[in-house]
Amino acid sequence: MSVELPFQISIPDSKLDLLRQKLALTEFPDELENTGWNYAKLNQDLPQFTKDIDVNGFETLNIHYVHQKSSLANAIPLLFVHGWPGSFIEVRKILPLLVQSSPQFPAFHVVALSLPGFGFSEGAHKPGFAPEQYAEVAHNLMLSLGYHEYVTQGGDWGYLITRIIAHKYGGKHSKAWHTNFPLATPLNFSVNPILFLQHLFTPYTAAEKAGIERSKRFEKEGQGYFHEQSTKPQTLGYSLADSPVGLLAWIYEKLATWTDSYPWTDDEVLTWVTIFYFSRAGPAASIRIYYEFIHSANGSQPSSFEPTIPLGVSHFPEELRITPRKFVHSVGNLVFQVEHSTGGHFAAYECPDELVDDLREMFGKQGPAFGVVPGKNGYEQRIRANL
Amino acid sequence: MSNSFKIAVSSTALSALKSRIESATFPDELDDAGWAYGVPLADMKRLVARWRDGFDWRQEEQKLNNELPQFTRDIEVDGFGSLNVHYVYKKSDRGTGIPLLFVHGWPGSFLESRKIIPLLTKGSGDSQCPVFDVVAISLPGFGFSEAPKKKGFSLSQYVEVSHKLMIALGYTEYVTQGGDLGSRVTAGIARRYGGMHSKAWHTNVLFSMPPENDDPSSYTASEKEGLARWQEFQRSGSGYFQLHSTKPQTLGYSLADSPVGLLAWIYEKLVSWSDNYPWTDDEVLTWVSIYWFSRAGPAASIRFYYEVAHSGQALGTKSSPPTIPMGCSLFPKELIRIPKSWYPGVGDVVFEAEHDKGGHFAAHEQPELLVGDLRKMFGKGGPVYGVVTGRDGYN
Repeated sequence: MSVELPFQISIPDSKLDLLRQKLALTEFPDELENTGWNYAKLNQDLPQFTKDIDVNGFETLNIHYVHQKSSLANAIPLLFVHGWPGSFIEVRKILPLLVQSSPQFPAFHVVALSLPGFGFSEGAHKPGFAPEQYAEVAHNLMLSLGYHEYVTQGGDWGYLITRIIAHKYGGKHSKAWHTNFPLATPLNFSVNPILFLQHLFTPYTAAEKAGIERSKRFEKEGQGYFHEQSTKPQTLGYSLADSPVGLLAWIYEKLATWTDSYPWTDDEVLTWVTIFYFSRAGPAASIRIYYEFIHSANGSQPSSFEPTIPLGVSHFPEELRITPRKFVHSVGNLVFQVEHSTGGHFAAYECPDELVDDLREMFGKQGPAFGVVPGKNGYEQRIRANL
Repeated sequence: MSNSFKIAVSSTALSALKSRIESATFPDELDDAGWAYGVPLADMKRLVARWRDGFDWRQEEQKLNNELPQFTRDIEVDGFGSLNVHYVYKKSDRGTGIPLLFVHGWPGSFLESRKIIPLLTKGSGDSQCPVFDVVAISLPGFGFSEAPKKKGFSLSQYVEVSHKLMIALGYTEYVTQGGDLGSRVTAGIARRYGGMHSKAWHTNVLFSMPPENDDPSSYTASEKEGLARWQEFQRSGSGYFQLHSTKPQTLGYSLADSPVGLLAWIYEKLVSWSDNYPWTDDEVLTWVSIYWFSRAGPAASIRFYYEVAHSGQALGTKSSPPTIPMGCSLFPKELIRIPKSWYPGVGDVVFEAEHDKGGHFAAHEQPELLVGDLRKMFGKGGPVYGVVTGRDGYN
C-alpha cells in the first residue's frame, strides 16, 4: 500500500526566472509581463496529494491528484478524468458542488487525478503507455484510496479512459459512467436493429444538423494538432518545451475555439497554460498520449470495448464532434441523456452547474443510477431501528 | 530596377538568437525512442550545442554572398501591390545560356540552387552540353523576399510573381525546374504562361490524380511500392501539412519564438525526406538560419499551404494539365511516386530519368544527377533542344 503525501504546487524561483527571461525576449512582452501565476489560490481550492501507483508492465508512477471527501460519509466515490489540453484544474468549479450534502441531491467524494505526463504526475518513460495504461493508473488510484466501487465522469481523453475503465473494471469496480464527449460510431443493424431503423426514418433535429456541420468543420479545419501529435509528438515537443509563447498559442487556440464563447480572462488562460509549462513531465510529455493511442492495438479498434454498466451522457452544443443522438447507444448502456442549449468541450469548466445537475439527476433518488454503489448512495442514512 | 543584394544579418538579430539558444529548454524523451516520435533528443542537443558555440553564421553568410550573386527588385502582383522579391541570378559562363527559373519549396529556399548553379552555368568541360542562365527566386514569404500582407496570396500569385521576375530580367521565353511547392508553382507557370513564355518544364515531383479508366492491377511492383510509400507518408508523415494548411498562425508563434522548435520542425524533414544524405551540422544550421533570419520571419512561409488549401487549388483538385513539354527525374526517396498511367494528368512527359539514389531535395542531394538530366533534356539531341528561341545553350 503506497503512502499518500500531501502536495502543494510550488514552482522553484529558478524556473520562474527562466520563464521571465524567455518572455523578455518575445516581441509582445506587455501582454505577458504579469503572468499572474497564482498557485496559492489553487492550493487553497484544491486539496492535492501524490502517491506511487503501479502499472502492469511499466514503471511505478508517482501520481498527483485532487481528493476531497464530502462531509457525508456515504457519498458516492467519483473519479473525474480530464483530457488534453485540460488538467486537474477542470475539477475546480464542480468540486465544491459535488461534495455538498443535501436531502435534495446526492453527494460525492471526488478524486481528480492528473493523468501521467500531465500536471504534477510523473510521465511514463517507456514507449507504449497507451490509454489502457492510463485507465489502469486511474483505477489503481481509486483502489488505493479505498474506493473499490466508484463511478466516473470524463470528457476528451477522459471519455476514452473512463470507457476503458467501464469495460475492464466495470461491474466489479466501476458501477456507472458519465461523459460529455460521447464519441459514437454509426449504428450497426445487427447490434441495434430497432435503433438503426429509427435512426433511418427519423429526421435529424436542428441541433443534430448543426452538430453534424460542426463536426465536419472540425474534421476539415481543426485536426492538424491531432495529426501532428499522433505522429511526431517529439518534433512538436521541442517547440512546446522551449517556447512559452508557442505553448500558449498552441493551447489557447483550443480554449477559445472549443468553448461556447466562454469569457476567458487572461489570468484564467495563463493559469491553465502554466500548469502545462511547469508540469512535472514538461509540456512535450502530455501529447504523447495521442501517438500511443494511434499506435496501440485498440487505436484502430475502439469498438472492441463494450462496457455494459449504466452510462449517462450530457450533450453540449459546441462540443467538437456531434453525432446523431441514436448513435450514442453504440457508446454503451445508455440510461441517461440530457441536452443542453449552451456549453462546449470543457463542460466541467464552462457549465459546472449544468454538469453537476446532470450528475445529481443521474445518481439521485429518482435517477437511473441511484444507489449503484452499494452502501454509498450519496444521501444521509436514516437510522434504522434494530429489528 | 534590380538592386544588388548581400545577406547581412544585423548583430542585434544575431545576439537575440544567441540569447534564445542559451536559454533553450529541452523536453525529455522516451526510452529508445529513436526517430519514431520525431527528432531524437541527442540530435537536437548536439545541433543546439553547435549552434551555441561553433557555428559561425558570419562565415556562412560570407560564403553565400561570394558564391551566389543576389538581387532584389519590386514585382507588382495583381491585387497585392508591389512585393520586393529576392533572387539569385547567374548568367552562363559562355555562349547563350538557356534561361532557367529554379523554384524551391518548403523547407527549402534559394539555398537549394547552390550546388547546381556552377554546374548549370559553367557546363562540363565538354562543349556538347548546354549551359543555362539561372534565376533562383526566393518565393514571397521565404528567404529574403517580402511576404504578402493580405490574405489570399495563393498558387496563382506565386505563379504570377515568378513569371514576372523572368520577364523583368528580359527573358520573354524561359524554362523552369521545380520540386516540392516549386513543382506546383512551375506547373502553374506551364499552365498559364506555357507556349508563349514558359517553353518547357522539369520537375522531380510528379503528382496527379488517377485517370478515369485506371487499372490498379496493371501497376508494376515499383509503382505499387511508390503508392504504398505515399500512403504511409499521408498516414504518418503529413502532420506538418495538416497544420500548415489549417492553423499556420498558431504554429507560427512557436516557429518564430523558438529557434530550437524551428530547428526540430525543419531538421525532421531534412533527414526523413532525403536519401541518407550526410548532413553536416553546419549545413543544417545554415539551412535553418535562412528561415530564422528570413525577411518575413519563419511563420510566414507556411501560410503558402493554408492559402493553397483554401483557394480551391488543393493538391488533387482536378485541373487540365499543361501542354508544353515536360521532363521528370525520379529519385527513389521522393515522397510521391505515381504510376506511369497517371502521367497524362501531369503533363506531356517527353523526358524521364530514373535514378537509384537521391530523395526529395534532389538539387542539394544529387546535383550532378539532376543537372545531368537537365543537360540531356535541353541539350543537342535532347527532346526539347532549342526550345527557347535564340538561346539554345551553346555558342
